Amino acid sequence: MSIAISGLEFRYSGSGAGVSGIDLDVPPGAFCAVIGPSGCGKTTLLQLVAGFLRPAAGRIALSGVDVADVPPKDRNVGVVFQNYALFPHMTALENVAYPLKLRGVPAAERRARAGEALEKAHLSAFAERRPGQLSGGQQQRVALARALVFRPRALLLDEPLSALDAAHRAAMRDEIRAVQREHGIATLHVTHDQEEALSIADMVAVMEGGKLLQLAPPRELYDRPVNRFVAGFVGHANLFDARVAGGMLETPVGPLATRDPLPPEGAAVTVLVRPEALEPISEAHVAEAVAKDDGALVLMGSVTRDRFLGSLRRFDLAVRGGTILGETSSQAPIVGVRVPPGAVRVLPPEA
Amino acid sequence: MPVFTVAYLLFLVAPILLLLVGSVGGAWTNTLLPEGFTTEWYRNVWDDGSFRRAFVVSLWVCLATCAATAAIGLPLAYGIYGAARRGVKIAARLLYLMPVAAPPLVLGFGFILVFSSDQLPFLGAPWLLVCGHVVLTLPYLMQTLVADMRHLDLGSLERAAESLGAGFAQRFFGVVVPSLRHSLASGLIMVAALSIGEFQLSNLIAGFLSRPYPVVLLQAFYGATGFACAATVILLALALLSGAAAGAAGRGRVGAVGGRP
Repeated sequence: MSIAISGLEFRYSGSGAGVSGIDLDVPPGAFCAVIGPSGCGKTTLLQLVAGFLRPAAGRIALSGVDVADVPPKDRNVGVVFQNYALFPHMTALENVAYPLKLRGVPAAERRARAGEALEKAHLSAFAERRPGQLSGGQQQRVALARALVFRPRALLLDEPLSALDAAHRAAMRDEIRAVQREHGIATLHVTHDQEEALSIADMVAVMEGGKLLQLAPPRELYDRPVNRFVAGFVGHANLFDARVAGGMLETPVGPLATRDPLPPEGAAVTVLVRPEALEPISEAHVAEAVAKDDGALVLMGSVTRDRFLGSLRRFDLAVRGGTILGETSSQAPIVGVRVPPGAVRVLPPEA
Repeated sequence: MPVFTVAYLLFLVAPILLLLVGSVGGAWTNTLLPEGFTTEWYRNVWDDGSFRRAFVVSLWVCLATCAATAAIGLPLAYGIYGAARRGVKIAARLLYLMPVAAPPLVLGFGFILVFSSDQLPFLGAPWLLVCGHVVLTLPYLMQTLVADMRHLDLGSLERAAESLGAGFAQRFFGVVVPSLRHSLASGLIMVAALSIGEFQLSNLIAGFLSRPYPVVLLQAFYGATGFACAATVILLALALLSGAAAGAAGRGRVGAVGGRP
């Protein structure tokens, strides 16, 4: 129950948009989130795997079987759509039983299996209701049960959480993950919400302009983005143009030391500093912050924007040569930041 | 405001009330209301062979029109909804909405011109009358169906069915048709009401022995008042029946969709 995509190409005849050169392997039981800005091709990728679109070139294999010439109805892929797409004339139970009916499962057995699936989704009490009588979250769970009840070879989720309010979204996220784990099924989850992707997935694919930029576990994606776009798209980032000079990185805000291997002298690179890796300096601790000798660059300035986010505080600090984005849990007035070498990442040179 | 509402309702209801009164009233000359009560007029209508035949013709034409519009309208609406190109969609929409804009009189002349020719001498045939009614009523059914397809996002329902393993026939008869059952029913009832009340086109193209009820009704207006009233009330009852059925189907539709976020 894996998804293997290689060299996948597709172009829409009208706009010329599409995807190209996609290589993506989702091993059995793995959960892969595909993120990117709208129009990046992530939904196209999902439709290609589901079979609603035919690739111009490349290979899609489900559980090792090439499905290039298999129509969607024979692909055995469970899909959960953004608007759930429950059949309005069927009850929740009939919706879940529908794929079993299509597979010729006898009436009594399919009722039992669909009932069991609804019970797992805590929806037994709603089995006889029509979709119109269910809440968004309940419809979502019915759609998920329907997509899994026939033991598909892969599960595709097309922004299934985007129509839910924030409170339900987090709960549904955990539920989807739990169900997917239980079934041990390779899952492709398309979303524009990078926070959702980082929190739910084993691996995250970042797409832009029809290309797959990076495929990595969430932690690695965050710590080691392959380029400026990924660094900026995933989480918050300070990005600087830098030149290697005398073992340091010359940036507009000053020379930075790093623990990363340095590119050759004179090379132009991009430097990433995550906001939470900075050490804010409060008014009371200026002297000791400057005195500490760990190779950190000390930047003094004034806070121009201060956003209170509950457990977190995000601030813009205007310093000589630019603006620094920082995060802290301290509520003390901030007059500067230290940029320790461990916080400074050198991005690989752009191709 | 209430004054206007009452006045308007009175304006709507007064003629119908007068019809009802006239249809059961006795002598009605130089008085505001007729004198006496009688069911004679209704008996006269019933006894009149041409009215009985017209009633049956109207029902048959109505049923045939419903069957034909459903058989044509459902696949056509499905095709237009699914058409990939925007241009095709717009062209198809214009084409099927055209009979709404064209007066039935124009259509009638067209029918006479085409079907009184030597090559196509079909004017007066009952099936031609059904064809005419289909042309006139199809736009209303199509409009209802296409609107419902958009409302339901039928495309995504079909993709869902496809991903669950349904082939074309299974999708069409298992998902498309049942999903549209409410709009199909209310559309068909509108078709039935329109067909029963249709006069302009029918008057021009119906054969003498296959004249529908409204056409024969015209003859009554030249004769006795009470008779004409009774004959009109019967037509009204037929049309109202269709209307009430449409209303009932409409409510079922709202109930099914209500509560959707």
